[in-house]
Amino acid sequence: MNKLYVLFFRFLLFAVLQVFVFNQLNISSYVHIMIAPLYIMILPFDFSIFRLLIISFFLGAIIDVLSNTFGLHASALVLMAYLRPTVFNWLAPRDGYDPLKTPSIIEMPKKWFLLVFGILLSVHHLWFFAIESFSLSEILLILQKTFFSCLLSFLVCIILQPLFLNKAK
Amino acid sequence: MSVPKSSVFTSASYVSGTLYEIKHSIVKHFHLTDNNKNLQKENIRLRKQTPSFLYKKNRNSMSASDTLYAQQYEYIAATIINSTTTNRNNFFTIDAGEMQGVKRGLGVFSSNGIVGIVHNCSKHFSVVKSVLTSDINIDVMIVENGAFGLLKWDGKNPRYGSISGITNDIKIKTGSKVITRGGSGIFPKGLSVGTVHSITPLEGKPLHFVKLEFAEKYGALQNVYVVKNQFLTELNNLQLQ
Repeated sequence: MNKLYVLFFRFLLFAVLQVFVFNQLNISSYVHIMIAPLYIMILPFDFSIFRLLIISFFLGAIIDVLSNTFGLHASALVLMAYLRPTVFNWLAPRDGYDPLKTPSIIEMPKKWFLLVFGILLSVHHLWFFAIESFSLSEILLILQKTFFSCLLSFLVCIILQPLFLNKAK
Repeated sequence: MSVPKSSVFTSASYVSGTLYEIKHSIVKHFHLTDNNKNLQKENIRLRKQTPSFLYKKNRNSMSASDTLYAQQYEYIAATIINSTTTNRNNFFTIDAGEMQGVKRGLGVFSSNGIVGIVHNCSKHFSVVKSVLTSDINIDVMIVENGAFGLLKWDGKNPRYGSISGITNDIKIKTGSKVITRGGSGIFPKGLSVGTVHSITPLEGKPLHFVKLEFAEKYGALQNVYVVKNQFLTELNNLQLQ
Protein backbone atom coordinates (compact mmCIF):
# COMPACT_ATOMS: atom_id res chain seq x y z
CA MET A 1 0.00 0.00 0.00
CA ASN A 2 2.76 2.34 0.99
CA LYS A 3 4.43 1.66 -2.30
CA LEU A 4 1.42 2.92 -4.30
CA TYR A 5 1.54 6.24 -2.48
CA VAL A 6 5.18 6.60 -3.41
CA LEU A 7 4.46 5.78 -7.05
CA PHE A 8 1.60 8.27 -7.21
CA PHE A 9 3.61 11.04 -5.58
CA ARG A 10 6.50 10.33 -7.92
CA PHE A 11 4.07 10.48 -10.87
CA LEU A 12 3.03 14.05 -9.97
CA LEU A 13 6.61 15.03 -9.24
CA PHE A 14 7.84 13.86 -12.63
CA ALA A 15 4.97 15.56 -14.47
CA VAL A 16 5.57 18.85 -12.65
CA LEU A 17 9.34 18.68 -13.08
CA GLN A 18 9.03 17.92 -16.79
CA VAL A 19 6.50 20.66 -17.53
CA PHE A 20 7.55 23.47 -15.24
CA VAL A 21 11.30 22.97 -15.11
CA PHE A 22 12.74 21.02 -18.03
CA ASN A 23 10.28 22.25 -20.69
CA GLN A 24 10.97 25.84 -19.63
CA LEU A 25 14.73 25.64 -20.06
CA ASN A 26 14.75 26.22 -23.86
CA ILE A 27 18.49 25.48 -24.08
CA SER A 28 18.73 25.01 -27.84
CA SER A 29 16.71 23.53 -30.70
CA TYR A 30 18.83 20.42 -30.48
CA VAL A 31 18.54 19.82 -26.76
CA HIS A 32 15.21 18.93 -25.23
CA ILE A 33 15.64 17.27 -21.85
CA MET A 34 12.97 14.68 -21.06
CA ILE A 35 12.85 12.98 -17.69
CA ALA A 36 9.43 11.33 -18.01
CA PRO A 37 10.97 8.12 -19.49
CA LEU A 38 12.82 7.64 -16.21
CA TYR A 39 9.48 7.28 -14.39
CA ILE A 40 8.40 4.46 -16.71
CA MET A 41 11.83 2.88 -16.34
CA ILE A 42 11.77 2.70 -12.54
CA LEU A 43 8.25 1.29 -12.17
CA PRO A 44 8.42 -2.07 -10.33
CA PHE A 45 9.50 -5.23 -12.15
CA ASP A 46 6.25 -7.11 -11.51
CA PHE A 47 3.99 -4.54 -13.21
CA SER A 48 2.11 -6.08 -16.15
CA ILE A 49 2.41 -4.54 -19.59
CA PHE A 50 -1.23 -3.43 -19.37
CA ARG A 51 -0.52 -1.39 -16.25
CA LEU A 52 2.64 0.07 -17.79
CA LEU A 53 0.75 1.23 -20.89
CA ILE A 54 -2.06 2.85 -18.88
CA ILE A 55 0.33 4.67 -16.54
CA SER A 56 2.59 5.87 -19.34
CA PHE A 57 -0.37 7.10 -21.36
CA PHE A 58 -1.67 9.19 -18.48
CA LEU A 59 1.74 10.59 -17.62
CA GLY A 60 2.28 11.53 -21.26
CA ALA A 61 -1.20 12.97 -21.66
CA ILE A 62 -0.78 15.22 -18.62
CA ILE A 63 2.54 16.54 -19.94
CA ASP A 64 0.99 17.03 -23.39
CA VAL A 65 -1.98 18.99 -22.09
CA LEU A 66 0.31 21.30 -20.16
CA SER A 67 2.90 21.88 -22.87
CA ASN A 68 0.82 22.04 -26.09
CA THR A 69 2.45 19.02 -27.69
CA PHE A 70 -0.82 17.29 -28.70
CA GLY A 71 -0.08 13.64 -27.86
CA LEU A 72 3.65 13.59 -28.62
CA HIS A 73 4.78 12.69 -25.10
CA ALA A 74 1.92 10.21 -24.66
CA SER A 75 2.72 8.29 -27.83
CA ALA A 76 6.47 8.21 -27.17
CA LEU A 77 5.98 7.04 -23.57
CA VAL A 78 3.45 4.37 -24.54
CA LEU A 79 5.89 3.03 -27.14
CA MET A 80 8.63 2.95 -24.54
CA ALA A 81 6.39 1.21 -21.98
CA TYR A 82 5.41 -1.34 -24.61
CA LEU A 83 9.05 -2.15 -25.35
CA ARG A 84 10.13 -2.26 -21.69
CA PRO A 85 9.23 -5.92 -20.93
CA THR A 86 10.84 -7.05 -24.19
CA VAL A 87 14.12 -5.27 -23.52
CA PHE A 88 14.05 -6.49 -19.90
CA ASN A 89 13.67 -10.07 -21.15
CA TRP A 90 16.59 -9.74 -23.55
CA LEU A 91 18.96 -8.64 -20.85
CA ALA A 92 17.58 -10.63 -17.92
CA PRO A 93 20.15 -12.04 -15.48
CA ARG A 94 20.47 -15.83 -15.33
CA ASP A 95 18.25 -16.29 -12.28
CA GLY A 96 15.64 -13.66 -13.27
CA TYR A 97 14.78 -10.36 -11.66
CA ASP A 98 14.18 -9.83 -7.96
CA PRO A 99 10.64 -8.34 -7.85
CA LEU A 100 11.43 -6.50 -4.60
CA LYS A 101 13.99 -4.32 -6.30
CA THR A 102 13.33 -1.32 -8.52
CA PRO A 103 15.02 -1.16 -11.92
CA SER A 104 17.15 1.86 -11.04
CA ILE A 105 20.88 2.49 -11.20
CA ILE A 106 21.09 2.25 -7.41
CA GLU A 107 19.69 -1.25 -6.96
CA MET A 108 20.64 -2.90 -10.23
CA PRO A 109 24.07 -3.44 -11.78
CA LYS A 110 25.28 -0.20 -13.40
CA LYS A 111 26.09 -1.86 -16.72
CA TRP A 112 22.62 -3.38 -16.94
CA PHE A 113 20.91 -0.07 -16.25
CA LEU A 114 23.03 1.90 -18.73
CA LEU A 115 22.29 -0.60 -21.49
CA VAL A 116 18.55 -1.06 -20.90
CA PHE A 117 17.80 2.58 -20.23
CA GLY A 118 20.03 3.64 -23.13
CA ILE A 119 18.04 1.50 -25.58
CA LEU A 120 14.64 2.58 -24.26
CA LEU A 121 15.57 6.27 -24.07
CA SER A 122 16.93 6.31 -27.64
CA VAL A 123 13.76 4.70 -28.99
CA HIS A 124 11.64 7.15 -27.01
CA HIS A 125 13.58 10.19 -28.24
CA LEU A 126 13.76 9.02 -31.85
CA TRP A 127 10.00 8.42 -31.92
CA PHE A 128 9.32 11.77 -30.22
CA PHE A 129 11.37 13.88 -32.64
CA ALA A 130 10.29 11.90 -35.71
CA ILE A 131 6.62 12.43 -34.93
CA GLU A 132 7.26 16.05 -33.95
CA SER A 133 8.80 16.89 -37.35
CA PHE A 134 6.68 14.35 -39.26
CA SER A 135 8.63 14.73 -42.50
CA LEU A 136 11.37 12.61 -44.01
CA SER A 137 13.14 15.65 -45.47
CA GLU A 138 14.15 16.63 -41.94
CA ILE A 139 15.73 13.26 -41.11
CA LEU A 140 19.11 14.84 -40.39
CA LEU A 141 17.58 17.31 -37.95
CA ILE A 142 15.66 14.48 -36.28
CA LEU A 143 18.82 12.40 -35.81
CA GLN A 144 20.84 15.35 -34.51
CA LYS A 145 18.09 16.25 -32.06
CA THR A 146 17.80 12.63 -30.92
CA PHE A 147 21.54 12.32 -30.36
CA PHE A 148 22.12 15.52 -28.37
CA SER A 149 18.88 15.30 -26.40
CA CYS A 150 19.52 11.66 -25.55
CA LEU A 151 22.94 12.47 -24.12
CA LEU A 152 21.63 15.22 -21.88
CA SER A 153 18.43 13.43 -20.83
CA PHE A 154 20.50 10.40 -19.92
CA LEU A 155 22.87 12.47 -17.81
CA VAL A 156 20.02 14.28 -16.02
CA CYS A 157 18.18 10.99 -15.40
CA ILE A 158 21.27 9.47 -13.80
CA ILE A 159 21.81 12.52 -11.60
CA LEU A 160 18.15 12.53 -10.53
CA GLN A 161 18.05 8.94 -9.29
CA PRO A 162 20.13 9.30 -6.11
CA LEU A 163 17.99 12.33 -5.27
CA PHE A 164 14.61 10.59 -5.44
CA LEU A 165 15.30 6.96 -4.75
CA ASN A 166 16.82 5.30 -1.76
CA LYS A 167 18.21 1.88 -1.37
CA ALA A 168 15.80 -0.85 -0.28
CA LYS A 169 16.64 -2.26 3.12
CA MET B 1 1.68 18.06 -39.27
CA SER B 2 -1.78 19.31 -38.48
CA VAL B 3 -2.67 19.55 -34.84
CA PRO B 4 -6.01 19.07 -33.08
CA LYS B 5 -8.24 22.07 -32.59
CA SER B 6 -9.76 21.15 -29.23
CA SER B 7 -9.01 23.65 -26.49
CA VAL B 8 -9.70 21.19 -23.68
CA PHE B 9 -6.43 19.33 -24.12
CA THR B 10 -4.14 22.33 -24.55
CA SER B 11 -2.84 25.00 -22.22
CA ALA B 12 -5.87 27.12 -23.17
CA SER B 13 -7.96 25.01 -20.79
CA TYR B 14 -8.84 26.49 -17.43
CA VAL B 15 -6.73 24.21 -15.25
CA SER B 16 -3.49 24.42 -17.21
CA GLY B 17 -4.05 28.09 -17.99
CA THR B 18 -4.30 28.83 -14.30
CA LEU B 19 -1.23 26.72 -13.53
CA TYR B 20 0.76 28.65 -16.12
CA GLU B 21 -0.50 31.93 -14.72
CA ILE B 22 0.94 30.95 -11.33
CA LYS B 23 4.22 30.04 -13.03
CA HIS B 24 4.20 33.31 -14.91
CA SER B 25 3.70 35.31 -11.71
CA ILE B 26 6.98 33.80 -10.49
CA VAL B 27 9.16 34.09 -13.57
CA LYS B 28 7.78 37.25 -15.18
CA HIS B 29 10.46 39.45 -13.62
CA PHE B 30 13.32 37.58 -15.26
CA HIS B 31 13.15 39.59 -18.49
CA LEU B 32 11.61 42.72 -17.01
CA THR B 33 14.38 45.11 -18.07
CA ASP B 34 14.28 44.04 -21.69
CA ASN B 35 10.53 44.16 -21.86
CA ASN B 36 10.35 47.59 -20.28
CA LYS B 37 12.94 48.93 -22.69
CA ASN B 38 10.94 47.67 -25.64
CA LEU B 39 7.74 49.18 -24.35
CA GLN B 40 9.52 52.48 -23.70
CA LYS B 41 10.86 52.53 -27.24
CA GLU B 42 7.41 51.91 -28.61
CA ASN B 43 5.96 54.64 -26.40
CA ILE B 44 8.47 57.15 -27.73
CA ARG B 45 7.64 56.19 -31.29
CA LEU B 46 3.94 56.54 -30.66
CA ARG B 47 4.31 59.80 -28.77
CA LYS B 48 6.09 61.28 -31.75
CA GLN B 49 2.97 60.64 -33.80
CA THR B 50 0.36 62.16 -31.51
CA PRO B 51 -0.74 65.64 -32.60
CA SER B 52 -0.13 67.23 -29.20
CA PHE B 53 3.60 66.55 -29.50
CA LEU B 54 3.90 67.97 -33.00
CA TYR B 55 4.41 71.57 -33.95
CA LYS B 56 1.60 72.93 -36.07
CA LYS B 57 3.21 74.43 -39.17
CA ASN B 58 0.18 75.54 -41.04
CA ARG B 59 -2.51 76.47 -38.58
CA ASN B 60 -5.16 77.28 -41.13
CA SER B 61 -5.45 73.82 -42.65
CA MET B 62 -5.80 71.89 -39.41
CA SER B 63 -9.01 70.07 -40.03
CA ALA B 64 -9.19 66.32 -39.64
CA SER B 65 -12.42 64.97 -40.94
CA ASP B 66 -13.63 61.73 -39.41
CA THR B 67 -15.28 60.69 -42.62
CA LEU B 68 -11.88 60.11 -44.20
CA TYR B 69 -10.69 57.35 -41.86
CA ALA B 70 -12.46 54.47 -40.24
CA GLN B 71 -10.77 52.17 -37.81
CA GLN B 72 -9.97 48.92 -39.58
CA TYR B 73 -7.96 47.13 -36.89
CA GLU B 74 -8.76 46.59 -33.26
CA TYR B 75 -6.03 45.72 -30.76
CA ILE B 76 -6.21 43.63 -27.61
CA ALA B 77 -3.28 43.74 -25.19
CA ALA B 78 -2.15 40.41 -23.75
CA THR B 79 0.72 38.84 -21.82
CA ILE B 80 2.51 35.64 -22.74
CA ILE B 81 2.31 33.30 -19.76
CA ASN B 82 3.98 30.26 -21.30
CA SER B 83 6.19 29.80 -24.31
CA THR B 84 8.70 27.45 -25.88
CA THR B 85 11.19 28.30 -28.60
CA THR B 86 13.12 25.08 -29.09
CA ASN B 87 10.48 22.53 -30.13
CA ARG B 88 9.77 21.87 -33.80
CA ASN B 89 6.38 23.52 -33.39
CA ASN B 90 6.24 26.20 -30.73
CA PHE B 91 3.09 27.50 -29.11
CA PHE B 92 2.63 30.48 -26.80
CA THR B 93 -0.13 30.72 -24.20
CA ILE B 94 -1.52 34.23 -23.65
CA ASP B 95 -3.78 35.45 -20.88
CA ALA B 96 -6.57 36.79 -23.10
CA GLY B 97 -9.45 34.69 -24.40
CA GLU B 98 -12.97 34.84 -25.74
CA MET B 99 -13.97 37.23 -22.97
CA GLN B 100 -11.54 39.83 -24.35
CA GLY B 101 -12.67 39.19 -27.91
CA VAL B 102 -9.87 36.88 -29.04
CA LYS B 103 -10.90 34.40 -31.73
CA ARG B 104 -9.22 31.60 -33.65
CA GLY B 105 -7.23 32.91 -36.61
CA LEU B 106 -6.43 36.41 -35.34
CA GLY B 107 -2.89 37.75 -35.67
CA VAL B 108 -0.58 38.40 -32.72
CA PHE B 109 2.34 40.84 -32.78
CA SER B 110 4.64 42.62 -30.35
CA SER B 111 6.30 46.01 -30.41
CA ASN B 112 9.24 44.62 -32.40
CA GLY B 113 7.62 42.24 -34.84
CA ILE B 114 5.00 39.62 -35.57
CA VAL B 115 4.54 36.74 -33.15
CA GLY B 116 1.98 34.33 -34.56
CA ILE B 117 -1.65 33.43 -35.15
CA VAL B 118 -4.21 32.41 -32.52
CA HIS B 119 -4.61 28.63 -32.69
CA ASN B 120 -7.49 28.17 -30.29
CA CYS B 121 -8.93 29.89 -27.26
CA SER B 122 -10.96 29.29 -24.15
CA LYS B 123 -12.83 31.79 -22.01
CA HIS B 124 -9.74 33.32 -20.38
CA PHE B 125 -6.71 32.01 -22.29
CA SER B 126 -5.55 31.44 -25.85
CA VAL B 127 -2.90 29.31 -27.48
CA VAL B 128 -0.92 31.13 -30.16
CA LYS B 129 0.82 29.25 -32.94
CA SER B 130 4.06 31.20 -33.13
CA VAL B 131 6.09 31.93 -36.27
CA LEU B 132 8.42 29.21 -34.98
CA THR B 133 6.24 26.40 -36.42
CA SER B 134 6.63 24.39 -39.60
CA ASP B 135 3.50 25.59 -41.40
CA ILE B 136 3.03 29.19 -40.30
CA ASN B 137 3.09 30.62 -43.89
CA ILE B 138 2.51 34.32 -43.21
CA ASP B 139 2.83 36.44 -46.34
CA VAL B 140 5.70 38.89 -46.01
CA MET B 141 7.44 41.32 -48.37
CA ILE B 142 10.78 43.02 -48.69
CA VAL B 143 10.40 46.77 -48.30
CA GLU B 144 12.87 47.90 -50.96
CA ASN B 145 11.46 46.18 -54.03
CA GLY B 146 8.16 44.73 -52.92
CA ALA B 147 9.21 41.13 -53.53
CA PHE B 148 6.93 38.88 -51.53
CA GLY B 149 6.87 35.31 -50.33
CA LEU B 150 5.79 33.09 -47.47
CA LEU B 151 7.51 33.05 -44.09
CA LYS B 152 8.95 29.63 -43.11
CA TRP B 153 10.90 28.23 -40.17
CA ASP B 154 13.25 25.26 -40.42
CA GLY B 155 13.20 24.27 -36.76
CA LYS B 156 16.85 24.92 -35.99
CA ASN B 157 17.49 28.41 -34.70
CA PRO B 158 14.75 30.59 -33.19
CA ARG B 159 16.62 33.71 -34.40
CA TYR B 160 16.39 32.94 -38.12
CA GLY B 161 13.56 32.12 -40.51
CA SER B 162 13.33 32.11 -44.28
CA ILE B 163 11.14 33.45 -47.08
CA SER B 164 10.11 31.03 -49.79
CA GLY B 165 8.98 31.76 -53.32
CA ILE B 166 11.13 34.76 -54.29
CA THR B 167 12.30 34.31 -57.89
CA ASN B 168 15.96 34.93 -58.68
CA ASP B 169 15.34 37.70 -61.21
CA ILE B 170 14.73 40.05 -58.29
CA LYS B 171 17.80 41.67 -56.75
CA ILE B 172 17.78 41.62 -52.96
CA LYS B 173 20.31 43.23 -50.64
CA THR B 174 21.23 41.76 -47.28
CA GLY B 175 20.03 43.92 -44.44
CA SER B 176 16.88 45.15 -46.15
CA LYS B 177 13.80 45.24 -43.99
CA VAL B 178 11.04 42.65 -44.20
CA ILE B 179 7.46 43.57 -43.29
CA THR B 180 4.05 41.91 -43.41
CA ARG B 181 2.24 42.22 -46.74
CA GLY B 182 -1.25 42.23 -45.32
CA GLY B 183 -2.62 40.11 -48.13
CA SER B 184 -4.55 37.63 -46.04
CA GLY B 185 -6.04 40.34 -43.86
CA ILE B 186 -4.79 38.78 -40.64
CA PHE B 187 -2.04 41.34 -40.07
CA PRO B 188 -2.11 44.97 -41.16
CA LYS B 189 0.41 45.85 -43.85
CA GLY B 190 3.79 47.07 -42.66
CA LEU B 191 4.34 45.26 -39.36
CA SER B 192 8.02 44.55 -38.90
CA VAL B 193 9.13 40.92 -39.30
CA GLY B 194 12.91 41.12 -39.52
CA THR B 195 15.83 41.84 -41.82
CA VAL B 196 17.33 39.84 -44.69
CA HIS B 197 20.34 37.97 -43.35
CA SER B 198 21.68 36.15 -46.40
CA ILE B 199 20.64 35.13 -49.92
CA THR B 200 21.68 31.86 -51.57
CA PRO B 201 20.49 30.45 -54.92
CA LEU B 202 18.40 27.27 -54.74
CA GLU B 203 19.85 24.52 -56.85
CA GLY B 204 17.75 23.52 -59.85
CA LYS B 205 15.06 26.12 -59.24
CA PRO B 206 14.75 29.75 -60.37
CA LEU B 207 14.37 30.80 -56.75
CA HIS B 208 16.36 32.54 -54.03
CA PHE B 209 16.71 31.05 -50.58
CA VAL B 210 16.29 34.15 -48.43
CA LYS B 211 17.37 33.74 -44.83
CA LEU B 212 15.78 36.21 -42.49
CA GLU B 213 16.75 37.39 -39.04
CA PHE B 214 13.69 37.90 -36.86
CA ALA B 215 13.31 41.36 -35.32
CA GLU B 216 11.78 39.92 -32.17
CA LYS B 217 13.62 37.77 -29.65
CA TYR B 218 10.94 35.17 -29.00
CA GLY B 219 12.65 33.71 -25.97
CA ALA B 220 12.23 36.82 -23.82
CA LEU B 221 8.88 38.03 -25.08
CA GLN B 222 6.06 38.98 -22.75
CA ASN B 223 3.86 41.83 -23.96
CA VAL B 224 1.91 41.21 -27.15
CA TYR B 225 -1.11 42.59 -29.00
CA VAL B 226 -3.84 40.59 -30.69
CA VAL B 227 -5.01 42.33 -33.85
CA LYS B 228 -8.54 42.00 -35.16
CA ASN B 229 -9.40 43.06 -38.70
CA GLN B 230 -12.95 44.45 -38.81
CA PHE B 231 -13.20 43.88 -42.55
CA LEU B 232 -11.81 40.34 -42.57
CA THR B 233 -15.09 38.57 -43.46
CA GLU B 234 -15.72 41.11 -46.20
CA LEU B 235 -12.24 40.50 -47.62
CA ASN B 236 -12.58 36.73 -47.44
CA ASN B 237 -16.02 36.74 -49.06
CA LEU B 238 -14.72 38.90 -51.88
CA GLN B 239 -11.69 36.71 -52.49
CA LEU B 240 -13.78 33.54 -52.49
CA GLN B 241 -15.99 34.77 -55.31
